[in-house]
Amino acid sequence: MAPNKIAILYGSETGNTEDFAKILSYKLQRLHYPHTLSTLGDFNPKDIIGTRYLFILCATTGQGELPRNCHEHSFLDWKNRTLWAFLKKKNLPANFLSHVNVAFFGLGDSSYPKFNHAIRKLHSRMVGQLGAHELFDRLEADEQAMAGSNKGTGAGVESVYFEYEKRVLEFLGGKFPKRKVEGKMVERTPIDDSVYLQPRSYLMLDESDDSTASQNSPMKFSNDSAIRYGRVETNTRITADDHFQDVREFVFANADSSKEDKYEAGDTASVFPCNSDEAVQQFLDNQDQWLPVADKPLKFTNGIPDALKSGGVIEPLTLRNILKYHCDITCIPRTSFFMKVWMFATDVERMERGEGQLEQQRDKLKEFATDQDMQELYDYCNRPRRSILEVIEDFLSVRLPWEYCLDYLPLIRPRYYSISSKPNDRNIQLTVAIVKYKTMLRKIRTGICTDYIAKLNKGDIIRYNVHHNNLIRKEYRTNPMILVSPGVGIAPLLSIIKEDPKQSSNLQLFFGCRFKDKDYLYEDTLEKWAADGRVALHPVFSRDRENSPDTKYVQDVLWKLGDFVTNLMVNENALFVLCGASGKMPIQVRLTVIEMLKKWGGFESDEAATAYLKEMEKQDRYLQETW
Amino acid sequence: MSATRIGLLLIHPAVTTTPELVQDVKEGAGARNIKFVDQYLINKVNDSSIKLKPASYDVIHYLTPEKADAILFPKKLIPVLQAAMKPSATLYGLSDVYKVDALINGFEVVNTGSEYYWVNKADAATTSAKPLAKLVSLKSGSGNAKSSAALPSFKKKTEGSALPSFKKMPTFAKKAESAQIIKLDDDQDELDDDLEEDEEVFSDFSKTQFFDDMEDEDSIEEDSLVAEKGQNVVTMITCGKTKTSRKKACKDCSCGIKEEEEKEIDNIRSQQERVVQFTEDELTEIDFTIEGKKVGGCGSCSLGDAFRCSGCPYLGLPAFKPGEKINLTSISDDL
Repeated sequence: MAPNKIAILYGSETGNTEDFAKILSYKLQRLHYPHTLSTLGDFNPKDIIGTRYLFILCATTGQGELPRNCHEHSFLDWKNRTLWAFLKKKNLPANFLSHVNVAFFGLGDSSYPKFNHAIRKLHSRMVGQLGAHELFDRLEADEQAMAGSNKGTGAGVESVYFEYEKRVLEFLGGKFPKRKVEGKMVERTPIDDSVYLQPRSYLMLDESDDSTASQNSPMKFSNDSAIRYGRVETNTRITADDHFQDVREFVFANADSSKEDKYEAGDTASVFPCNSDEAVQQFLDNQDQWLPVADKPLKFTNGIPDALKSGGVIEPLTLRNILKYHCDITCIPRTSFFMKVWMFATDVERMERGEGQLEQQRDKLKEFATDQDMQELYDYCNRPRRSILEVIEDFLSVRLPWEYCLDYLPLIRPRYYSISSKPNDRNIQLTVAIVKYKTMLRKIRTGICTDYIAKLNKGDIIRYNVHHNNLIRKEYRTNPMILVSPGVGIAPLLSIIKEDPKQSSNLQLFFGCRFKDKDYLYEDTLEKWAADGRVALHPVFSRDRENSPDTKYVQDVLWKLGDFVTNLMVNENALFVLCGASGKMPIQVRLTVIEMLKKWGGFESDEAATAYLKEMEKQDRYLQETW
Repeated sequence: MSATRIGLLLIHPAVTTTPELVQDVKEGAGARNIKFVDQYLINKVNDSSIKLKPASYDVIHYLTPEKADAILFPKKLIPVLQAAMKPSATLYGLSDVYKVDALINGFEVVNTGSEYYWVNKADAATTSAKPLAKLVSLKSGSGNAKSSAALPSFKKKTEGSALPSFKKMPTFAKKAESAQIIKLDDDQDELDDDLEEDEEVFSDFSKTQFFDDMEDEDSIEEDSLVAEKGQNVVTMITCGKTKTSRKKACKDCSCGIKEEEEKEIDNIRSQQERVVQFTEDELTEIDFTIEGKKVGGCGSCSLGDAFRCSGCPYLGLPAFKPGEKINLTSISDDL
């Protein structure tokens, strides 16, 4: 089939940008514009030739990079074959994209130095160097100005998105005011919001499969050639039982003993979680019209949707299995979810107060779906971190058709963890902090993946993959290293220290936590390495006066040893590797390093010290891996 | 042997990189008794910068490097070429990809095994009128119904399913109104910009050659794309909306909003504590009927957080039916 002339491509890290892309796609669908919706990474580069109208929505991640789903395919081993890898090739002529009309929407966070760099890179290459025609100036939104408030910059995320959408629709509407139906041109009018649009391929009962007890057949995952299976070796809590945080040393090995995983220090493993059986049952009990078919074999009307293939498609294909392995029923619903389900609020029989309450629920759900301010949705879902499961339990009028569940329910995505084990070790070790926190909701919030990991036992099989990050340049392997990690930030640094043969002879590890005897992760190992001279260890405890009398945070210790550390950076070409939670920590460490450069590094002004730090970053000598 | 046939050679722009192909055709022409009197780039004909003289050629030869089954050719050009052909003239270089168009326009498709070409069967009287009429109708956009219907309507998919088919909801829809579901087969919709696209067809093919070596790793430096400062100026949106009530704490909040949010959570929780005390057992099952006083006068307490008042002691609890036990399985209070 010829590729669509209109394509919406997105790069998303947290799912925010993805949802905006879905909203735009939904609007185009309603207006009968045939189009492709895809991540940048999954889009076949060859299809760019047939593309005439391109809408790119992209977030920025890490140090001004494009999100992972821009440079990786979700289920194919593509590496250098993605659109972005292709567009970066030097041999492309300056008119390569002259046939493309493009409009950009960037989503960034101005508290990061490389604000919106991803969309700027895309823009600069495609428009500036390859001759794409820009429909209107690109728009950039700022996460810091999260809706409503806007902080006077006019960059609030939703308002910028809806401005973008408005301009896209105005352009297309002006260009294609009519559409062809049976050879006749008719006015292009939108399909009413209350009508559900059936997806291209959806679920139906597989009558040919009479294995009624399909839940007994062995489970497997198909259609993802890159997925690997791991057998859990150990899953041990490494914080004290009375400590608030549960941190796990989680070790697994490729279940296929003939296969080996290649990885370097700084690489990550992705783990595909699944829902608990209880959560799945809770969902089915809520949508009890699903129960009679919950364990029946199913098939797709028109082939497996590509979006489902990442991590493999569950077999046997039953509703129960799909809910467990594919649908993220405990995530926080976004606008696109409400857009697709509000019209299914139809069951008056479950309404204590009859028609009036049904109307009330419909109106509220529609407001979540269509209100451009997103205030109500934010207060109801995002702020308290309310799950889809909890939403449908609050809105009993909703009767969802199971046939389309993969269209309106978000899909479970893998989660990424830094590898702690020695590079290429068969036993892949992760250091995982189990997510648990409270909001105004009674029920404690957890994370789908850490919840899943916390319950795994030795011998259990997981689905995973290994991703290369090229954290440390080859030529720096023997340089002195200043390793800084509060808490679970230690994870990737362990891998550096374990590298064998040890390549750098001067490793300075600054580890921070709250209490020496509660959350000093891998204390015995670290102390032993220190005793053996493998690493110089500088632990610090923020709430432990006894063991850390005059310092609280890693930056305090850096400052205390400022002369020595600065000398390593300035005169010995040391690498500075900072890992841990994002937030205040990396900012304060950065400020401390600038002060150190001024005091001991021979830089007189803030500007000179900052310039030197930026130079280090440019050379990949100041590395920050925060999450 | 008959007299020398007057020929027109049309060339795909990508052929310009391989002039020997053109040479081959010209050299073979003598043997076929053809004299190419004109030679044009097809895109020049396509964008009308070159106009072909009517009924002038015995042979048109279209030279393209594309594979026969992957030829991209603007359909609107077929009648244009035909108008330039004498009756019974032959057209070489197109393939069965456009067979339907050939037949519609009154060509006969000949395939001898060794040779493939189209013969202009339309007699002079009709050809001179018909294709022109089509051209006009295409250009004027809507045209008369007859000719536009005869043209690109052979997309099979449009038949029968052109209009959305409405479908009743599956069985579970009880009595209330049920949601309407539309099967949207977007094959049925096509952007009607063929004219515009056709101008790109020839350059498109030239671009495909860059996909030949996907593994070539000589790439530009990504970081060089973004200037350190200056440049990259973006239009900011100043929207008319004034709702500023939402204050969301940033992840690294330092202005106190985060503390405020935490305080708010604590407040809500302490209100919950005052009104609804949970014991261990009650956590799995609560009977809200025991003390009617627990439900406020606003009448919204049971409806769920989306409808509760801002100070409601039930905030953070699921919706419940007054008078019925509710299941609070897995609600636990320890952190």
